[in-house]
Amino acid sequence: MRKLLTLTMLAVLTVLSTGCATMFGEEKQKVVYHINYNDEKQLGAALGNVKNHINAIGKDKIDVKVVMHGNGVDLLKIANTNLDMQQKVIGLKKSGVAFQVCNNTLVNKKISYKNDLFDVSEKDIVPSGVAEVANLQQQGYVYIKP
Amino acid sequence: MNQEKHFSDEFLNAFVDNQIAAEEKSRAYVEIGQDEALNRQVCELRKLHDLVQLAYREPPAPPARAASGTNSRQARLRFGVAASVLLTLGIFLGSQIRMPATAPSVTAVPVPAAATQQMAKAVPPAKPARTKPAAAADATDHVATLQPTAVVPAAEPAAVPAPVIARNEIPDNTATKVLIHLARDDIDQLSQALDDIESTLKHYRETRQNARVEVVVNGKGLELVRTDTSAFAGRIQRLQREYDNLTFAACQNTIERLAREQGIIVRLLPGVITIDSGMAEIMRRQNQGWTYLQV
Repeated sequence: MRKLLTLTMLAVLTVLSTGCATMFGEEKQKVVYHINYNDEKQLGAALGNVKNHINAIGKDKIDVKVVMHGNGVDLLKIANTNLDMQQKVIGLKKSGVAFQVCNNTLVNKKISYKNDLFDVSEKDIVPSGVAEVANLQQQGYVYIKP
Repeated sequence: MNQEKHFSDEFLNAFVDNQIAAEEKSRAYVEIGQDEALNRQVCELRKLHDLVQLAYREPPAPPARAASGTNSRQARLRFGVAASVLLTLGIFLGSQIRMPATAPSVTAVPVPAAATQQMAKAVPPAKPARTKPAAAADATDHVATLQPTAVVPAAEPAAVPAPVIARNEIPDNTATKVLIHLARDDIDQLSQALDDIESTLKHYRETRQNARVEVVVNGKGLELVRTDTSAFAGRIQRLQREYDNLTFAACQNTIERLAREQGIIVRLLPGVITIDSGMAEIMRRQNQGWTYLQV
């Protein structure tokens, strides 16, 4: 009986300490960048924001997702021809940034992600850009609209 | 008879009751066997002992029942204690869980009297939920009849709390709540925004997700829901008809500013509700667990 009680106490303490550890322990900062415009200057500035953000936090301590829908998908169209933009995308991907493309937009605008967009594979496609931004926020991602 | 003196009555009783050591007992057996009188005495005692045993064989039941009674009383007491501990724990946990749920609704209460009054006009207090503004409601109901100079005191105090209460009583079991913020008047952007809104609603419907979408318009975005400026009146009405989980909410501050600065009396499209302030709504909703997007 006493043994059982001791074991129970130990189990409770373990659970509590685990909870504290996750609460105070170092967790990655989670951020979603929302892009739905296609102005080249604005897009360049937005990717600059992402880069600065990662530099400030450290790429091992941050989890960044860039969600593009509507005109925002043009970012990866531009990256096909604009080498400066392309370099920015490549650099951010190396830092662990995920670029996610809205499937609704691809369908509505008849865009082929294989032919028209820079370096997009099937895993980068999300069913709905807006729903994905909402979904990520529910998972604890902080919303930034640059 | 002398022999008798070797054994006291106490000893004999103990002998009959089988409460003496085996060594003494064997000695007693020998002596009792030799003495007839002693033998008879022991025999009498044994008979008495047996009778007593027999007499008590039935009655001992009540004491036994009494004992089991105390046992069950103890068990009941233990059960009661356990139950009350559980109940207390339950109440405590329940209040803990309820706390965050009630807290945000409190933040939604302070609404400026002027705006609340306007809300009372735009949203009939009888309507329980904000989610389904009657599309058929007369457009004149939504006319912002504002006197820019009037500070609007609480002329109808009874009507003031009504919309606020209605707001807080919305049954909020929706898993996904999305606030979409529109603050631009660019036709292309608004068109794209409506595309986004529609495809999002469609996505939630197709994936059978219980979602609510609130479109907050302020600043230049208000033009989307004004009868005199909206390029998408038909589309907005169609969306409202198709999706009862969609709400368009117009910023009262913007409506008042237009009246004050440009003398524009804003008429909203049917079914569009007003909120005190677009920015306040955005912050309030985020505090209530809504996700926020600017399109």
